[in-house]
Amino acid sequence: MESNKDKEKEHVLSKRLNKIIQARIENDEETINAFKQLSTFYTENSLQARRNLRSQIEKRSLSINKQILSSFLEVKNSFDCIYNDIADMSKSIQDMESRLQNTKTQTKQLLQQTSILQNERDKNVKQQKIVNALLEKYQLSPDYFSILQGGKEQLITPEIFSVIDRVQEIHNDCKVLMQSGLQTLALDIMEQMTLYQEAALERLYRWTQNHCRNIDNTDLTDLITQAMLRLQERPVLFNYVIDEYCICRRSKITDDFINALTRGGPSGNPAPIEMRAHDSQIYITDMLVWLNKATAAEKQNLCTLLKLCTKNDLNETIANSLAVICEGVCQPLKMRVEKIISVPSQASVLYSIVNLLRYYKKCICKIVNRGLIQETLQQLQDNSEKAFLTTLQTQVDSKLVRVEAPPRDLSPTSAVTNLLAVLRDILSTANMSEGRETDMVKIAQTVMVPLLRAVNEQAARLPPTDMAVYMLNCMYEMYTCLSLYEFMDERLERLEAQSDAQIDTLTSEQASSLVANLNLGPIYTILQDQSHGALSEVPGMEPSNLRNFLEKMDYLASHPDGALLQQIHLLTSSKHKKSVQKRSFDVLLAIYKQLYQAVLDPVNKYENPHVIFHKTPDELEKIFS
Amino acid sequence: MSAGPYNYSYIFKYIIIGDMGVGKSCLLHQFTEKKFMADCPHTIGVEFGTRIIEVSGQKIKLQIWDTAGQERFRAVTRSYYRGAAGALMVYDITRRSTYNHLSSWLTDTRNLTNPSTVIFLIGNKCDLEGQRDVTYEEASKFAEENGLMFVEASAKTGDNVEEAFLETAKKIYQSIQDGRLDLNAAESGVQHKPSQPGRNPLSNDQQANKDNCAC
Repeated sequence: MESNKDKEKEHVLSKRLNKIIQARIENDEETINAFKQLSTFYTENSLQARRNLRSQIEKRSLSINKQILSSFLEVKNSFDCIYNDIADMSKSIQDMESRLQNTKTQTKQLLQQTSILQNERDKNVKQQKIVNALLEKYQLSPDYFSILQGGKEQLITPEIFSVIDRVQEIHNDCKVLMQSGLQTLALDIMEQMTLYQEAALERLYRWTQNHCRNIDNTDLTDLITQAMLRLQERPVLFNYVIDEYCICRRSKITDDFINALTRGGPSGNPAPIEMRAHDSQIYITDMLVWLNKATAAEKQNLCTLLKLCTKNDLNETIANSLAVICEGVCQPLKMRVEKIISVPSQASVLYSIVNLLRYYKKCICKIVNRGLIQETLQQLQDNSEKAFLTTLQTQVDSKLVRVEAPPRDLSPTSAVTNLLAVLRDILSTANMSEGRETDMVKIAQTVMVPLLRAVNEQAARLPPTDMAVYMLNCMYEMYTCLSLYEFMDERLERLEAQSDAQIDTLTSEQASSLVANLNLGPIYTILQDQSHGALSEVPGMEPSNLRNFLEKMDYLASHPDGALLQQIHLLTSSKHKKSVQKRSFDVLLAIYKQLYQAVLDPVNKYENPHVIFHKTPDELEKIFS
Repeated sequence: MSAGPYNYSYIFKYIIIGDMGVGKSCLLHQFTEKKFMADCPHTIGVEFGTRIIEVSGQKIKLQIWDTAGQERFRAVTRSYYRGAAGALMVYDITRRSTYNHLSSWLTDTRNLTNPSTVIFLIGNKCDLEGQRDVTYEEASKFAEENGLMFVEASAKTGDNVEEAFLETAKKIYQSIQDGRLDLNAAESGVQHKPSQPGRNPLSNDQQANKDNCAC
């Protein structure tokens, strides 16, 4: 090997030498370096040196290699060290890596969970918001709720009404829920609200029922009226409250009435109404005035109680309630008024009572138009009217119980004038009362019918002339009395017709008497008889006889009053008297005229007919009229 | 003389006469009130009733005097004959005595009324057929002989009551139309009412009737 190496070295050298020779050494840096290196140990150019060169170089190369080897060993060791370290590192890294991997897998789950949780949380937050909003919108706030429940004292405060409104509002809002498809929820809420509402109304109802009687307490008025407004939605509760109210007020007004009657106001001012029970008119007036005031006050209270209510039949409710409230006072009132009516008294007093009852019935019935009070007042009015007419009847009958003979002057008897005075008295009162027409007709009927009968009875016992005069005088008195008033036309017509009949009778009597006095009977009969010849030749129609008649006629003409029947002068009415006189004289005139014409008629053969008659019928008529 | 709501052209005066208890007042009541009055008291003197009827389109007010049948009131009732345009003479078909007195009633009527007075004979209580005491034929003959109108009526059932009053009115109205009845005579029992009757004074300007002297 050595030899190879040497050969090689030689070869390399030779090559290098060739190269050095061939090449330009100065440009070959490697060669330069090799030379420089060579120069360090080849210091002398000796054979030895030249022989040794080779080994020297080899030696040198060997040492260098040895040096390199040892250096490399060092390096190798270092590297081994490094290698181990790195391996360690790698191992721990691997370890770490696997741990990391592990953790990584574990963390992933966690992350997933977290994100799920986070999502859920978000959702929940959102839901919470919704629920809160929902609660706020569809549930009562705790404040409201506690108001709704009320404290231990169960006091009602005005706030409860806003709560009730709120409940109602929620109830109404449920429609929105319904529309958005949440039927079940909506229905649940609605049910709940309904329950709340019922509970609230129930509380309101209990409270109102307890307090309604104090409607006149101004502190409570607002609350009570509000409460009534709410309660009207529940007719049953509403009616219970009204019933309770009516019962309370009824007993109160009854107590008050009894107190006003028996005890009077505080410390006896005003005095108790019964203090003046001896004066029936004042007594009844006081009672009725009290009632009128009380009913008006009750109506006002009721109206206050229900002023906010808007029910359709509110007026009906008020009217019915008032009727119930006033029921209690009916009995005491009825007892007292009936007692007064039943005590015998003057018809005129009773009539004022009738009018009082009528007037106040009208006033009170304007306020309470139904129920017991209306019936009672009606009954009292009817009873008093009946009592009045019965009393009047009795009064009339007692005056007429004896058929008095008419006085000599044929003027109405005292009973007649007396009764007419009573009638005038009552009619004057009736004239100012209400419904006076029926009243006046009835009163006139009650007095006039028995009166006329009595007059007829009296007159029936008299001779015809006296009868006619007496009847005329009575009827004239009645006519004068009745003609002062309205609605008496029927009666007046009747009296007038009756008077006419009597005037006819009197006229006939008077005419007969005149004819008899003047001895005109035979003359008239002859005049009517057409069968005879000339009148002057008929016995009794001689001019002397006629002259006799005409003298009497002249006397009559100068003293017309003297010719009248004595009874005619007793006629009260000068009109009647004149009428009888005129009509009977007319009869006479008619005969006179007939006679006059007959005498003037040549057929009857009177001589100087104009001498026989001093007066023409026309002249005579003028005298008579 | 009435300020009532009715306008009427005439007033006819009627009298109802006849024995006591024949039902004169009941007839009047039936006619004016259309009701039967069961317990009718005896009439004292005269009673009075009115009703407005219509004859040939004319409104007529009937002024009816219901007289007492009792003898003691004869003097009082006689006064009312004079002004009557119609006289309803009533008897009771179940009591012959009331029928027998008719001639005296008729004489009274003829004497006290004027010739044109319409006299109507009424046999009342014709509902009591079982107790009949006067036959229809007999009364009918009597009426015919005396020139009276005649009907049997019942105040209880109202049968023929209306007819009796209305027929009388028709006859009177006929007399007026014929001119047989002098409207101006006080005794005619008819008054003409121009449009609205006012309240007349007590004694109106009636003219005396010459026939008065017949007494």
